[in-house]
Amino acid sequence: MKKRPIRQGILSGIMVSLLLVAGCSSDEAAGDSDEVTLVYARGVDTTEGNAKLIEAFEEEHPNINIKYREMPSDSGQQHDQYVTTLSGRSAEIDVFDADVVWPAEFAQAGYVMGLDRFIEEDNIDMNKYFEGTVDSVTFNGRTWAMPKFTDAGLLYYRSDIVDEPPETWDELSEMAGNLKGEAGTNFGYVMQANQYEGIVVNAIEFIHAYGGEVINDVGEVVVDNPEAIEGIRKMTEIAQSDYVPNNILNFTELETETAFIQGNTVFARNWPYMQASSANEDKSQVAGDVGFSLLPKGDEQSASTLGGWVTMINKYTEHPEAAWEFVKFMTGKEGQKISATVGGTAPTIKSLYDNEAVKEASPVFANEAFVETLQNAVPRPVTPNYPKITDIIQIEISKALAGDVSPEQAAQNMQREIENVVNE
Amino acid sequence: MSKRRFSLSEKQLGYAMVAPSLILIAVIVLWPIMLSFWNSLFDYRLNDPSLSQRTLGSEINMERYADNYDFVNKTIEEILAESSAEEVTNEVETIQQGINERHNTFLSEGDHEEKFNEVLETVRSHYAVKDQSLKYVSIDESFKKDYSTYLTEQSESLASLSSEQEGAMATRLSDLSGQIKLMDSSFMKENFVGFGNYAQYLQESRLWQSIGVTTLFTVVSVFFELVLGLAIALLINRAFFGRGAVRASVLVPWAIPTAVSAMIWKFLYDGQSGVVAHYFEQLGIIQDAGQLLTTSAGAIFSIIFTDVWKTTPYMALLLLAGLQTIPHQLYESAQVDGANAWNRFYKITLPMLRSTILVALLFRTLDAFRVFDLIYVLTGGGPANATEAVSVYAYKVLFAQQNFGAGSALSVIVFICVAIISTLFIRFIGSDLMAGKQKG
Amino acid sequence: MQRKAGPWFYLFLIVFVFLVMFPFLWIFLTSIKPLGDIFGSPFAWFGSGISFQSYESALTTRPLLRYMLNSFIVSGATTILAIGCAAFTAYAVTRLPIRFKSVILGVVLASSMFPPIAIISPIYDFVTDFGLRNTYPGLVIPYITISLPLAIWILATFFQNIPYSLEESAKLDGATPFQTFRKIILPLAAPGVFTTAILVFIAAWNEYLFALTINTKDAMKTVPVGISLYQSQYSIPWGDITAATVLVTIPIVIIVLIFQRRIVAGLTSGSVKG
Repeated sequence: MKKRPIRQGILSGIMVSLLLVAGCSSDEAAGDSDEVTLVYARGVDTTEGNAKLIEAFEEEHPNINIKYREMPSDSGQQHDQYVTTLSGRSAEIDVFDADVVWPAEFAQAGYVMGLDRFIEEDNIDMNKYFEGTVDSVTFNGRTWAMPKFTDAGLLYYRSDIVDEPPETWDELSEMAGNLKGEAGTNFGYVMQANQYEGIVVNAIEFIHAYGGEVINDVGEVVVDNPEAIEGIRKMTEIAQSDYVPNNILNFTELETETAFIQGNTVFARNWPYMQASSANEDKSQVAGDVGFSLLPKGDEQSASTLGGWVTMINKYTEHPEAAWEFVKFMTGKEGQKISATVGGTAPTIKSLYDNEAVKEASPVFANEAFVETLQNAVPRPVTPNYPKITDIIQIEISKALAGDVSPEQAAQNMQREIENVVNE
Repeated sequence: MSKRRFSLSEKQLGYAMVAPSLILIAVIVLWPIMLSFWNSLFDYRLNDPSLSQRTLGSEINMERYADNYDFVNKTIEEILAESSAEEVTNEVETIQQGINERHNTFLSEGDHEEKFNEVLETVRSHYAVKDQSLKYVSIDESFKKDYSTYLTEQSESLASLSSEQEGAMATRLSDLSGQIKLMDSSFMKENFVGFGNYAQYLQESRLWQSIGVTTLFTVVSVFFELVLGLAIALLINRAFFGRGAVRASVLVPWAIPTAVSAMIWKFLYDGQSGVVAHYFEQLGIIQDAGQLLTTSAGAIFSIIFTDVWKTTPYMALLLLAGLQTIPHQLYESAQVDGANAWNRFYKITLPMLRSTILVALLFRTLDAFRVFDLIYVLTGGGPANATEAVSVYAYKVLFAQQNFGAGSALSVIVFICVAIISTLFIRFIGSDLMAGKQKG
Repeated sequence: MQRKAGPWFYLFLIVFVFLVMFPFLWIFLTSIKPLGDIFGSPFAWFGSGISFQSYESALTTRPLLRYMLNSFIVSGATTILAIGCAAFTAYAVTRLPIRFKSVILGVVLASSMFPPIAIISPIYDFVTDFGLRNTYPGLVIPYITISLPLAIWILATFFQNIPYSLEESAKLDGATPFQTFRKIILPLAAPGVFTTAILVFIAAWNEYLFALTINTKDAMKTVPVGISLYQSQYSIPWGDITAATVLVTIPIVIIVLIFQRRIVAGLTSGSVKG
């Protein structure tokens, strides 16, 4: 009778296969102390900017290697991925780029490192950055991120169709309606109206243009007022008009850009990056026929939502000092210049707008009105509850644009629900 | 006979063989359900340090405390050095004194001082505190209350003082106010809320809407899958050429990942380049191609249509297998008796298929009610939450908002719904389901 | 009842199969169109030529092969381990004189009905605490448990159909119960075990929720999650997505083509889960 202990055999088989499997995956063992490898995560970059930036840094710091980890481009999906990774207290990412609306939330959650000690040790002058961008990385008296690039919405138009860009939203409606169809276009205007962060950005621009606000300076929710409702009404009117695509409620920046560079639309609201892509003759069918201006005015002013990205350090990183060196480089003058000239992103350092190379990189950067817009861009609420607030705005504005609720009703609902969140 | 000693009796062997599966099921399914329920009784949030543990006792997050205490001190020193206004100096000095008194009391207890110093050193050198016993330290409840109240009050009074000042001093004061607030948040909140999470959700329209969406999706898609599946099964219940090929093609939609088929359909439904949307528009089913994914009705239709596409063939296969077990003689004798086709279907086919249909219905219903992948990938719950099923809602609360307390309450609600559905079904078909599996 | 199949029947059959397969056909046709045609003339059946541009970019923009390897390892390990545990349990429940059989089967059946969303958060905590995030065991352990009920249920049906007489004679020859299981029952049930293995493999291959939350690192993602995040910043890469979809569907189609008979046998004998 061969008496092989079968159960034991099977058990050890199980153990072995689990170990094997575990072995395959633990590739992030601590390396040797002289050479440090940092994992840097950010959304997909189709320009050379990111690669050049990393290259320049590695040249300057030969003992620090940067491993780039690509994240999904959708900022909501990116957010969820960072949050699941970071709440697991894992050190798999060291440095990452964050949407300008995330720092308060990540700071409150204890996911990211406060950078004040580093800033003080290295004497970084935060006043050289645009004030709005510094505000967005400051929460409860401490700094949690460094502003990497800034963004503000622009109105793009086809200069072969439009002579003079519209001054007000009413003019835009009229022109978009009349000019739709010219020079092979199918639409008059496109914006971001999908149910995601972009719809909030667009809605805030309308609300502020008509003199409204969502949350005021002292933290009160004031969205249920006539000015804000007027803004929502205008946005709804545009979304339901016949000069926007029938699937405008699916439009993100991607669809906006595709529609514009393929010559499908007369006007488009998008971030500055589209200036470069629409001028690129390989990709764009409208290269040479692109103009841009500030967003139209409402009853009150022209308002553009502050966008952009900041860089943060995972609190659980194994290499805080190296991580800081990298952040300092990317968000410093040299790094931002590379991002601006190669990647086409707008610097957060004011003095860079006087730099000739930067000015040459894009007509947007040389445009004084644009720089002023950046100075005055409207920030979204800086609060750790931002994910809930943006969820509420997304849902209600989406419903209003789809015609499921009236602008008044949407404002009332937002008022009630945001108040609940703020008073939690 | 040495082998006697190593061989178990049949009974012992039986239990030994059942044990691994039962242990796994207990650890990975039953225990987590209980934990979910336990979590749902807390205001438990991973992204709020003062709520990131389920605490019944009172604790302090030493890392956060030490880190911010350091900054509060520094900022106070800076203000005292810069300020010329007496009201500011006085107030800040009082606060400094107040905090220091309490801080010293805190340190004098047990090994707090030792731990505090170790933690402070770690955070000053930019590292995170990984040792949980160092990070969470228990403190006296009434002391915690006093300290926390004090900090809350000071933070508020500094905020109002700051609004009276101007320039750099205003910023300094509001910084200090924020830093004190952060320090305050190092006291772990007692976060047992009982059924509070449930009470809150039961009043919330979003939950009811999501249950409504899930139910609508389940009822409509399972109904169509059953009816179409039965019709197809009846039609192809005959000998024909190419059975294998048909069977394989029918299995493919079932076999590929739901997430992948959701991506495929996302492309087919796309308002601008989606071919299905385009044909639907031409057939007059929808007014224009953009409607499928941008309107509530269109999006619900889209997910149901996709689910029916994916699952009807599979349903047909199950029912076909059932049909093939019905003896021919039954039909033949019915025909002799002059029963027409409808009568034969009604009197023979349906009763004979009863248990197959019910079992298939049970599992399809449960599956449909748990729907997640399809909706998460195809619509993400939009537009305007019109397609947000309960599982998707629970996922968003759990992982996007990192709110494990409230999210667990939602997931327990899904569980209860599923339990109700299965109880109802098993009432009807209990005997069919367990039949023959436990003899011997 | 068995009727003869006429021409109308075959016509119906062709239409039916065409409708079922249409999405795949379309995805395949799109994936070999030149990029310009995908947006330029989206509704044309054939592009202006055949291009493998999309495949090239699908394989280079994202680690698609790595996703497939991950899925393969995870599903394979799950299948082996789950079948091992399930075969024991199914045998004990159908053949050995143990008590509480109906309770055990009841628990197994009930656990197959549990919605995954109800157990995901504690499992996430558990996997995090044990440092299993972004590892294969982090997925394999939950997957085994999720597939156990299915496997036990189907295997029990197969064991049920093995005649008792064989076992009796083995017993008379002095075999221990375990030897009977290993030498008599397992070989006889081999087709059933194999069928179950295919179903467990497919179920693990398709799982989404756990894979989405537990393995967030790109190099550790499985196919369903990888595909669903296939996006890039400045265009809607339908070309990449369709090509990637075709690539990941091929293994499944092959498995289905080869084993369709067994799969159907498994599905209908267990009548469990879709």
